[in-house]
Amino acid sequence: MSDTKLSRRDFLRIGALTAAGAALVGCTAPTPQVIKETVVVEKTVERTVEVEKEVEKVVEVTPPPPEPVEMRIAWWGGDARATKTIAVIQMFQDMYPYITILYEFAGWDDYWTRLGTQAAGGNLPDVMQHDYERITKWVADGLLVPLDAYVDSGVLDFSNVAEATLKGGKIGGKLYGVPLGINSLDMDIAVDLLEEAGLELPAPDWTWADFEQLCYAIHDSLGIWGYAGNSLFHDHMWKQIHISKGLWVFSEDGKSLGYDDDQISIDHLYMILRLYKAGAVQTLEEAVARQGESVEQSPMVVRETVMGFSWSNFIVTTWSAAGKDRRFKLVPIPRSGDKPAIYVKPSMFFSITKDARYPKEGAMFIDFFTNSIPANAILMADRGVPIASHVKEGMKGFLSPAQAEMFAYMAQVEADCSPTPPPDPARWADVRNNVFYPEFHDPVLYGLITPEEGAATFRKKANEILASG
Amino acid sequence: MSAAETGKRSARRLSKKTKERIKAVVYHVMVTSSCFIMLYPIFWMVASSLKETSEIWTRASSLIPSKVTFQHYIEGWAGFGNITFATFYKNSLIYASVATIASVASSACVAYAFAKIRFAGRGFWFSVMLLTLMLPGQVLMIPQYIVFSKLGWINTYRPLLIPRFFGNAFFIFLIVQFMRGIPNELDEAAEIDGCSKIGIFFKIILPLIQPALITAAIFSFYWTWEDFMGPLIYLQNPHLYTVSLAIRSYSDPSTGTDWGSIFAMSTLSLVPVFIVFIAFQRYLVQGISTTGIRG
Amino acid sequence: MVQTNSVPSASRRRIKTGRIQRQNNLIGYLFLSPWLVGFFLFTLLPILASLVLAFTDYDLFTPPQWIGLNNFKRMFFEDGRYWRSVRATFYYVFTAVPLRLVVALAVAMLLNQGRRLVSVYRAAYYAPSILGGSVAVAVMWRQVWGGRNLGLINFILQSLGLPYVNWLANPRTAIWTLITLAAWQFGSPMLIFLAGLKQIPVELYEAAAIDGAGGWGRFTRITLPMLSPVIFFNLVMQMISGFLVFTQAYLVTGGRPLDTTLFYALYLYLRAFEVHEMGYGSAMAWVLLGVIAIFTALLFRSSSAWVYYESGGGIGG
Repeated sequence: MSDTKLSRRDFLRIGALTAAGAALVGCTAPTPQVIKETVVVEKTVERTVEVEKEVEKVVEVTPPPPEPVEMRIAWWGGDARATKTIAVIQMFQDMYPYITILYEFAGWDDYWTRLGTQAAGGNLPDVMQHDYERITKWVADGLLVPLDAYVDSGVLDFSNVAEATLKGGKIGGKLYGVPLGINSLDMDIAVDLLEEAGLELPAPDWTWADFEQLCYAIHDSLGIWGYAGNSLFHDHMWKQIHISKGLWVFSEDGKSLGYDDDQISIDHLYMILRLYKAGAVQTLEEAVARQGESVEQSPMVVRETVMGFSWSNFIVTTWSAAGKDRRFKLVPIPRSGDKPAIYVKPSMFFSITKDARYPKEGAMFIDFFTNSIPANAILMADRGVPIASHVKEGMKGFLSPAQAEMFAYMAQVEADCSPTPPPDPARWADVRNNVFYPEFHDPVLYGLITPEEGAATFRKKANEILASG
Repeated sequence: MSAAETGKRSARRLSKKTKERIKAVVYHVMVTSSCFIMLYPIFWMVASSLKETSEIWTRASSLIPSKVTFQHYIEGWAGFGNITFATFYKNSLIYASVATIASVASSACVAYAFAKIRFAGRGFWFSVMLLTLMLPGQVLMIPQYIVFSKLGWINTYRPLLIPRFFGNAFFIFLIVQFMRGIPNELDEAAEIDGCSKIGIFFKIILPLIQPALITAAIFSFYWTWEDFMGPLIYLQNPHLYTVSLAIRSYSDPSTGTDWGSIFAMSTLSLVPVFIVFIAFQRYLVQGISTTGIRG
Repeated sequence: MVQTNSVPSASRRRIKTGRIQRQNNLIGYLFLSPWLVGFFLFTLLPILASLVLAFTDYDLFTPPQWIGLNNFKRMFFEDGRYWRSVRATFYYVFTAVPLRLVVALAVAMLLNQGRRLVSVYRAAYYAPSILGGSVAVAVMWRQVWGGRNLGLINFILQSLGLPYVNWLANPRTAIWTLITLAAWQFGSPMLIFLAGLKQIPVELYEAAAIDGAGGWGRFTRITLPMLSPVIFFNLVMQMISGFLVFTQAYLVTGGRPLDTTLFYALYLYLRAFEVHEMGYGSAMAWVLLGVIAIFTALLFRSSSAWVYYESGGGIGG
């Protein structure tokens, strides 16, 4: 069943929620207005001090129709996300007839090629979707504008959003990106297969030692992989094993690695190699052989594995591909230390760019995106669990099992997690693409060098690059 | 001639005809089966476009759908945001047609200069032209974008179409090679008859290099048809998108994709190129014999 | 020789040559003007810009900063991935290009026989090239070479009792999935060979047959020489595009595994656009241009030995 078109069920749902949400939206009849007026406060011989003072006047005035605005918005995603987002855009345009929105979207790689080109040409859209790993650099290069003014003036209404969530979009104390959803890393577990193996669901504070044993047990019992999919030493995993020990991988100023002991990574890598040897976990080589396969062919869906880690909003796609008769559960990533390994992460942001011609309307759209229940009924947490609590509440009745699991997991994460680390340093993309994977992750997991050698090379080169950033 | 000899001769002739038949059969079998191997991935794509979504990947090794469905074609055609593929096809057709005519025509003119006219600086400019082919496009993208941005051409087809009227190095080189296959005696004979260089170009050279022009036209059409990098960075309004860009926008492996629609639309996008190819093929005829001139 | 007037023939020739040369120059530049104008308008400035950028640190967002030869120093002496990309690209050029050309020529000759259904076959053999660098081709190609029993190749291997190979993941085999892709998409050079074959006058073959030349003799003495301008063209262009190979690697393997398919242009793109080092990317581009120019010049040099032009002579040499 295609996921791209809005079904009749969706429309009924939206209708119901719109009716419920109408009260929140308000009406457009003339209202009492708060007007800022310049009022003379002091007058002396030498000087006249004029101070702006807020004077509350009840004025029955129909606001004049604003100038027509044509705004540009860009995001990444496939056709499913596009359909939903376009529907939300139309909803917004209906509410504000003077605003027309021109939208652009593309797949991930194409998106950054296009936006990078537009940035170089001074041609960025008003609102763009942004990413945790890139936003630091764009802010440092002056491409995005701070949004605090709009928060203060009320255009961006975050009264229902936790401060901790917004912190993820703050750089240097200023808000540059509004999170469009939160997610967290999780371990997907195929509960049905686990029960078949006669094993129990792990506790939320389970450790990597528990994980290793569980993999062997699954392999012995069912003959399939205990774990498959994203690499167990994915760079996100590398971050989490240090977070669980109370460390952060980067130093405060982002100019070097923030931890001194490579043993954490080395131990983790040896665990992975042991699991490879036992055949209990899909090797990197096997994963690469299947790269680019669709989710329908992934090990989790075709029952070749019991566990896999991913972002919490992926469970919706995975579950829908696997079929309604499967059962999955999300549990936190295992701990390497005594702190939780997981943290709440903004899934992606909307930011306003320096080339924006209509930043205020852009902020209005972002506010709509965040706070409107009917809009989120269409989006259905496609970009992660919504950040506004009233939206989360409003959606509860309409969630599929997969979405409900995602919401429940995020609630659990929010209750017990490590603090959200700061955004990655600007040079991290270079380090990750040109050192972490080619010189550390790949050679070690292909068995070409030892974890010790890999860690040493990584430390040396990463520090060099980060220092120059 | 004795009856025996006539008989033998006709027997030999008969077996020769059979031999020809056998050769023909072998030829067709060989060519057809290697065609199948060549086309397997395309068959796979077409088959997948007709399979139900649930089946595309679970029965990926089978070329026959268990149940044929046209759902992907209907859904894919609907496009997104009320823009159907009809718009994208229109855009692509206009873009590819204009670009092709402009490219081939201008390239033929330039090729004539390089191939047949001894002008000062010919070798120099030829080398420069070849050098432009050797630079990876990625590094030229940004400076060119900035140039076009300053001209105010972003979000139009101008950056994509206007440069086509100024020749294309690949086609120029190709046509040059064909033009140099025409003996100079022809030109000289025409000149003696009082024909100007321009006249020679139109009346003699162009007709003789028809296969090259056709080939260049086919290439130009299909390269333009599948080009997405240019449209990606220069076209912002989705109403302007080409088919190739629209299909690419559909897919984002990181968020889950509607493969059925992609395969359906990709299959459909092959159709115009095929039509152009088959239509133009009949002009790939035997070149005019020129041995009459020699000796 | 009859003297038609009293002016000495030598100076008359000089006058004639001067006027003809000027006329040639005028007409030559007239016909050249489309490309020349376009070059100055759209190409020269970006090319010069990219040359200058090669000596800068430019992240696309902030103004470029001059750093002299630093990019080149880093490239040649400090960047392990750079050399891996060089190796992968050379390996590809010297295997994929000859393979593709041989297949293209063979098929073109096969399709030149004027049998029935030839136009259908031509379309069929051209079809893979039409798919070019589309998303669909990447997906399909990965399907064909995929692991376990998902892929056609492994399916065939296993039904023959042979072990399956992780084509896309094994560092020794991954690049061959791309080389075979290049060979599969031989349609373009094939079409050009076909056009070239059509230019060869049939009478030549008939004359040779009368003289008693066999199939192989006709091939080496008529086809190859008459086709040599086209062979030369294909060789040069395929070599250039071989060095510039990008899309297929980008879509199918992404440079994996272990950078064995990290072609030069792909690495350049990753450096320029993923980590925003456009200066470094420009430096890489100009080094590549230098290498390609050298090989092309060598090919042109060699052409006087084996390329036969009806109209005689060469352009640059």
